Amino acid sequence: MYVSWRYRERDTVLQRFDPRSRIIFTICVLFSLVQFWDLRFILVFFVLGVVQLWSAQLTWAETKRFWSVLALVILTLSIFTSLTGGAGAAVYESYTPLRTGTLLFTGIPVAIAVSVEQVTFFVTQIVRLVTFGLFALPLPYTIHPARYGIAFRRLGVPDKFAFSTDLAFRFIPSLGQDFQMTLDAQRARGYEVERRGSGLISQIRNMVPLMIPFIVGSIVRSEALIDVLDMRGFGTRPRTWLEELRYERRDYLLLATSLLLLLISTVMNLLDVGNFWTPSFLLVDTI
Amino acid sequence: MPNNRSEVHNRNHLPLVVRDLSYCYGQLPDMALNQLSFQVRSGEIVLIAGSSGSGKTTLVRCLNGLIPHSYRGGQRSGDIRIFGEEPAALSLAEISGMVGSVLQDPEKQIVASYVANEIAFGLENLGVERAEMRRRIRLVLDRLGIVHLHDRETFRLSHGEKQKLVLGSTLVLEPAILLLDEPLASLDAYGTEETLSLIRHLADQGKTVLIVEHRLERILKLRPDKVLFLVNGEQHYFGDVAGFLAMADPSEVKLPAHITLQRLHKLGAAVDTVEGPEVDVRPEVDVRPKVDVPPIKQAFASKPATPLIHYENVSFSYEPDDPILQEINFSLFPGDVVAVLGPNGAGKTTLAKLAVGLLRPNRGRVYIGGRDNKTMTVAQIARVVGYVFQSPRHMLFAPTIEREVAFGMHNLGFDEVAITSAVPSVLKAVDLTAYMDLPPLALSFGQQKRLTIAAVMAMQSRVLVLDEPTAGQDFRHYTKLMERLLRLLEGDARDDVPEAMVLISHDLDFALSYANRVILLRAGRILADGPPHEVLARRDLLAMCRLQPSSLLELNLQLLPHTGRLMPANMLSRYIPDLEELRFDIS
Repeated sequence: MYVSWRYRERDTVLQRFDPRSRIIFTICVLFSLVQFWDLRFILVFFVLGVVQLWSAQLTWAETKRFWSVLALVILTLSIFTSLTGGAGAAVYESYTPLRTGTLLFTGIPVAIAVSVEQVTFFVTQIVRLVTFGLFALPLPYTIHPARYGIAFRRLGVPDKFAFSTDLAFRFIPSLGQDFQMTLDAQRARGYEVERRGSGLISQIRNMVPLMIPFIVGSIVRSEALIDVLDMRGFGTRPRTWLEELRYERRDYLLLATSLLLLLISTVMNLLDVGNFWTPSFLLVDTI
Repeated sequence: MPNNRSEVHNRNHLPLVVRDLSYCYGQLPDMALNQLSFQVRSGEIVLIAGSSGSGKTTLVRCLNGLIPHSYRGGQRSGDIRIFGEEPAALSLAEISGMVGSVLQDPEKQIVASYVANEIAFGLENLGVERAEMRRRIRLVLDRLGIVHLHDRETFRLSHGEKQKLVLGSTLVLEPAILLLDEPLASLDAYGTEETLSLIRHLADQGKTVLIVEHRLERILKLRPDKVLFLVNGEQHYFGDVAGFLAMADPSEVKLPAHITLQRLHKLGAAVDTVEGPEVDVRPEVDVRPKVDVPPIKQAFASKPATPLIHYENVSFSYEPDDPILQEINFSLFPGDVVAVLGPNGAGKTTLAKLAVGLLRPNRGRVYIGGRDNKTMTVAQIARVVGYVFQSPRHMLFAPTIEREVAFGMHNLGFDEVAITSAVPSVLKAVDLTAYMDLPPLALSFGQQKRLTIAAVMAMQSRVLVLDEPTAGQDFRHYTKLMERLLRLLEGDARDDVPEAMVLISHDLDFALSYANRVILLRAGRILADGPPHEVLARRDLLAMCRLQPSSLLELNLQLLPHTGRLMPANMLSRYIPDLEELRFDIS
C-alpha cells in the first residue's frame, strides 16, 4: 500500500548469493568508483551495473519511484555543481569556451559562457551518479529483509545495531504511513501545503500542523517500541538468530573479485590513471 | 532458563498476589492506583474493567514490570508477588518468562518483517539454539492454527492474523500468566469469537489470564472467574461476575442489554442518571411515548432534489488487481444519519476519503452538493463535508484547545468574530469547555478524540463524517456526545449545524442506537442500504459482514412491533412492562 518497494523471491543468481558478500561487493564497487573521474572508466562500471540490474530481473513498475527520485536528485545536483563550477574546480583546472563567434550583426567577438570542461563534467557526473544508483538499487529488492540483521551481525556489527536494521524495515514504512495520514487529516481541515505567503518564517509556520503530529507520533511510536523490546528481553544477553548464513563457493568468488577490483582501482588512482578526461574532439573544435 | 521459573514456583505460590498496591506517576499529582489488593489462582480468568483513566493500563505496567523498569520516576508502594517473587526485583527478560503481555494495538508490537522471525524474536533474545527455536515456532503456530502464515510478511497480515501473531510471540516464551490489554479492540465479531475461545482454551490448560476490556458483553462469553473493577485508580469491586453486574452503573459501563434493562427497572428513578430525554419512569406498552424518543428524523421519506454527497458508479483501487471499492452508488440527503458498517478492510474509510477528495476514484464520479468533486480542492470540499479521522494523534498540534478548534475555521476563511463565537459552543457540545486553555496533547485519548470532533464541527460543514467515533471512548461519553449531536441535527436548520452525519463503525450497537439508515459494506461493495430495523434484521447479511447480533439487537427486534424502530437500551426500557415475560436467549 504505502511501502515503496517489496521484496520478491525470484530465484535469480543474485538472490542466491550470501547477503554479506553482496554488501561487501557493493561497498568495494562504490569505493572503486569514487576513485575515477574519467568517463571511459566510469562507463565500465556503468556497464557492470547494468548487467547486475538486468540479472536482478526487476520490473519498471517496481522501481520507477526509485528512479524518478534519483533522477531528480542527480539532475539538480549536477546542474548546480557544473554550472556554478564549484565542485568541478577540484577536478579540472583548464577553461575552454565551448564555442566562440561574433555577436549577431555587430562583429563583436564573444564566447559562449559554457566551457568544454563544464559540459564534460556535467555528463561525467551524471553517469557517475547514475552508476552509484545502479549498484545501490538492486540491494533492497534482492536481499531478503529478514537477513539484514544477521548479515550485519556476522560482519561484526554489535547485536543491538545489527537488529536495528531489521527494525528499520518494519518502521520506516510505518513512519511514511503516519506522515501521509497526518497530511490527509489536516487537508480535510482545509489545510493547504502550498499556501500563499512567501518568506521562510511563514513557510516554516505552515509546516507546523504537519510536523508536530508527526514528531509526537514518532516519539509515541518509539516509546511503545521500547516497551515491546523490553518486554521480550531484548538486549539483556548475547542473542541468537533464527536466520542462518553460509558462504558458498560463488560467495568466495564474488568476494575475491570485489577485493581485486578495489585493489586495481586504488593502484590506478595512485598511479594517477583515470583522472578527469575531456574528449579531444571537443577541444579541437574550439578556437 | 527464566521460562522455567514459573514452573518451579507453581506448586508453592499463587500466580499473582497484590497487596495495597499504589502508584503515582512522578509528574502527576493524583494517584494512578490506590490501595489495590487481590489474588489470582492458576487457570483463573480475571476481567479488569473500568473507564479510561481508571488505572487499568498502569496496573498492567506494574504487573509486567514496565513499572519500574521502563517507567522510572514514579512512586510505587505495596506488594506484588508473581509466584512469590517481586517483579521489581527481576529483570524484564525474567519477567517475560512468567508474564506474557499482549498490548492493545498489535500493529505496535510486531518488530520483525516476517512471521517466523517475529515469533523467534523473544527466543533469540534469550539465546535459544536455532533448532530449538524452529521446533517451538512450529509448535506455537500449530497451536494457534496459523502454520500457513510461517513465511508471510507481517506487514501484509490482516488485523486478526496480527493479533494471533502477537499472542503467538508471547506464548512461545511459555509464560504462566497472560496479560491481555484490550485484545479485542481491533477485531470484528468473528475474530473476537476465535480469540475468546483460544483464551478460554489456554485458561483451561492452566494459564492464568488477566484481561482488560471495554466490551463487556463479548468478554462475558469467556466466563471470567473474577472481575476487578477500577474507578479513578481505586478498587471498587473484586469478585465474581454476578456481583459485578449487580453493582455496575449502566450509564457508566455498557452492560448486556437485558441486564441494563433489569438494572434500570430496579433503580426506578435512576433512569434519570442516563442523559436523555425525560421520560415517565413507569413503563408503557404498545403506546409510543408522548415524550419524543431520540431525535432521529425518519430517513427514506421525501428526498429533496440535490443530495449532499452522491456516489455514481465509483470504483477505487491502489493496485490494479486489488480493488478496494467497486461500483458504489448511493446518495446522502439532509437528515440522514448513516451508519456505514462492515468488517476491517471492507473499504469504509476509503469511501469517506473519496468523498472529501483525499483519494480520487479510478472510475465513476463523486458529486458534492451537486458538483463533481474532481473540480474542487480538498479545502473547498471541506466546507461541505467535514471528516474526522479515526486517530486524534494525526491531527492535534496547536498550543491550546481553543486554537486547535480555530485552525480549520482559519483555513476556510472564517473571520475572527465568527471564530470567537463558534469555539465555545462546539467545545460545549463535546464537553471540553473546562479544558479550554490546556494543550491538546495533555488530554486523555478519549478527550482528544472529542476535541478532533469539535475541531471539525467548528468548520460548519454540512455533513459530519465520524470515523470509528467509539474507539477509545468511554460508553458514558460517547452516549452523551451522540445524543447532543443528534439533537443539534434535529433542531432548527442553522448554518453552523451539520445537516447529515455519516458514522463509520464496526460496532453494531452503536449503529442501531443512533443511525436512521444503515449501509453494509463488504469487500468493497454495498451489500445493503436501508432503515436499521430492516437491514439489521437480516442475519444472513450480518454474517456476511462478520457482524454478530448483540443482545441489544435481539431485544430491539423482539420489541420492534411496539417500538417501530431500533433504539439504545435506556430508551428501550420504557417499552417493557414486565421483564420476566421476555426471553433472553443470549448466553
